[in-house]
Amino acid sequence: MDHEAGEPDVAEQAPLRCRNVALRIMSDQLSIFFPLLQRGVRVQAEVGKPLGQFLSDQLGIPKEYVTGRITTIFMDNRPVDDLERSRIHEGSRVTLSAAMPGLVGATMRRSGFYAALRQGISHAEQGAELPSGQGTLTLKLFNLLLPELAPLILARGILLEQDELDALLNEFDAASRLGVASSYLCDREECGGTLVTVTVRDLPATPG
Amino acid sequence: MDKFARIDMGAAGGPKVTVGPLGEYAGLGGRAMTSLVVAAEVHPLAHPLGAENKLVIAPGMLSGTIGSMTGRLSVGCKSPLTGGIKESNAGGQAAQVLARLGYAAVVLEGKPVGDDVYKIVINAEGIKVVVDNSLKLMDNYPLVAKLRKEFGDKAAYMTIGSAGERMLLAASIACTDPELRPTRHCGRGGVGAVMGAKKIKAIILDDAGMKMRPAVDPDRFRDANRKFVEGLKKHPVTGEGLPAYGTNVLTNVLNEAGGYPTRNFKSGIFEGSASLSGEAQAELEIKRGGSATHGCHRGCVIQCSGIYNDKDGNYVTKQPEYETVWSHGGHCGISNLDTVAKLDYIDDNIGVDTIEMGVTIGIAMDAGLAEFGDDAAAIRLMEEVAKGTPLGRVLGCGAAITGKVFAVERVPVVKDQALPAYDPRAIQGIGVTYATTTQGADHTAGYAIATNILKVGGDVDPLKTEGQVELSRNLQIATAAIDSTGMCLFIAFAILDQPETFQALLDMLGGFYGINMTGDDVVALGKKVLLAERDFNSRAGFTKHHDRLPRFFYTEPIAPHNQTFMMKDEELDEVFNF
Repeated sequence: MDHEAGEPDVAEQAPLRCRNVALRIMSDQLSIFFPLLQRGVRVQAEVGKPLGQFLSDQLGIPKEYVTGRITTIFMDNRPVDDLERSRIHEGSRVTLSAAMPGLVGATMRRSGFYAALRQGISHAEQGAELPSGQGTLTLKLFNLLLPELAPLILARGILLEQDELDALLNEFDAASRLGVASSYLCDREECGGTLVTVTVRDLPATPG
Repeated sequence: MDKFARIDMGAAGGPKVTVGPLGEYAGLGGRAMTSLVVAAEVHPLAHPLGAENKLVIAPGMLSGTIGSMTGRLSVGCKSPLTGGIKESNAGGQAAQVLARLGYAAVVLEGKPVGDDVYKIVINAEGIKVVVDNSLKLMDNYPLVAKLRKEFGDKAAYMTIGSAGERMLLAASIACTDPELRPTRHCGRGGVGAVMGAKKIKAIILDDAGMKMRPAVDPDRFRDANRKFVEGLKKHPVTGEGLPAYGTNVLTNVLNEAGGYPTRNFKSGIFEGSASLSGEAQAELEIKRGGSATHGCHRGCVIQCSGIYNDKDGNYVTKQPEYETVWSHGGHCGISNLDTVAKLDYIDDNIGVDTIEMGVTIGIAMDAGLAEFGDDAAAIRLMEEVAKGTPLGRVLGCGAAITGKVFAVERVPVVKDQALPAYDPRAIQGIGVTYATTTQGADHTAGYAIATNILKVGGDVDPLKTEGQVELSRNLQIATAAIDSTGMCLFIAFAILDQPETFQALLDMLGGFYGINMTGDDVVALGKKVLLAERDFNSRAGFTKHHDRLPRFFYTEPIAPHNQTFMMKDEELDEVFNF
């Protein structure tokens, strides 16, 4: 596993609160990130925007993939039906899943025929004005979407606390574990944590 | 399948076998067969463990053919757990073999006097009922190993473990899978206790010398099967999600929806869910040399099962299903897959329903017999059931009885059958089915779909709240029909999305029987089955007051959504208004 060199001349920059860590791995190491992605990772986002715009424009997931493959979406524990009306906000928890088995799986499906069976828990946009701008939200990936979207999400970068980063690096065996070279690069005071970007050397970032 | 066999275990002079034509039961299979026989022939007030009850074993209409996904076996009776009619089905090899032997049904009747236990051997030569007391109190794994030495590895085995012999109300009937492990169970409703009451320990099915059942129109059947399989393979649920992760792929999603019943239905989110998820399970299985993709019967192309090994690569159990991982996991506050796997093995070995047992252990924890999250205590409680101790007998009789014995208020049962792994306060529509199905709390009774294709009862507006009653009704009708075909219910997902795959199923039935089946025919069959079941339950003393959820679902909101079950009684009473 390689590391990128830090930014030069740290002393000349204003005091900063987050670091960047860039990792390069092989595809057979991708599953090390899966438990983390299932539990949820913080990502940077332009909040106040429609969920559909976040997925396609901000994350860079192809629209046909969103339509055809991400058939179950939750926001703050509520199944989402309308990607254009549902808006992300600071601290949103967005969960992406492929099609699920069972009646209940079909019930959770986006705009599914059985949506009535989940009356009362579906996401409903309240219509209030939401603050817009740079923020963070929590993103979770489940089942088939884990191997398919992980390269894209990781390449874009995830925000980890120090203990999360330490735990993650400990998952790599000693032979491939690297000494982290930190680079300080941040123009926001609030992002916190460490921005970790991961390049999977033998896989494309964008799902096919 | 032109033979209808009756085995009278209580006949004077010893068990008596009668084989005849199907008569009034011609054209039936699976749940249609079991429910119509039970409804016609079992006195609704009969004691479920007495001589008047009957245990009806029926393969599906397409079992024993080259058709894909046709390996489900139905077992029906008056349930000793619910007191109502019961159909319980399983995969494994039994349906295929019994169908190829030409039996549309084997009906176990009467009750022998004395302490002898019997094995029943069904092969090309006929049916023999033989005393074999060397099998007494054997559990399923060693029992099958012993029987294999006598009958070989080409047979299929249906057995009960010590739980069935002890007539515990959670007892199941095990069917062997292609690897001859007793891992596929007719689990719900205590059908194993009924088999035990009739002193039958094992049924050995050997189709040596028999051929696949031939279709009336082989070309039409083969073509339809090909299209059916194509449809299953191209669908993301049946072709990708289920083979990769099994049914336990639902853990993460249900938890995210806030509908994952945790610590005896106290919350809808479990903090340990990721550790129990299908994703974590699949990775662990592969890493340990097991498998995350495995078919429970030959001819299955979905392959949603798997093999779970321990950290040293030794077999522990088949891949635990979502319901099992929930019942022994989050419902009990346990987040360790190895613990869940061990409990699943115990369930399979002694022969009990994993849903009923897991819910019961959670009730025991609520009663103070153990702490939630105490893995070792959960295993100890199951071992009590395995040993048949007084505590074990109480636990082995299920959640309702355990709740009463230990004065637990929160007991999640309907018609005395434990609720499965979806909280009805988060998913109101599943609560409608739990409350109203003839089977007791059952997530699969209203499971099949194709409602928008079948258009049962007209078009339903899924966004209207009153649509939930309509949907539950339609789903229960469609499920009853699919359960009668012997097809695995998981074909339902592909049929939902792909009308051409549903048409392929109709063409399979049509090609095999030389008829033209339509969606209306499927609906008619489903209605016929449900009305017969409902009528039996009514005669057995069930009223609309039994079609309700336990009171706490109406009064205790569940986090994170803080909802209660809101369907009105009058709405529930409309479900069977057809």
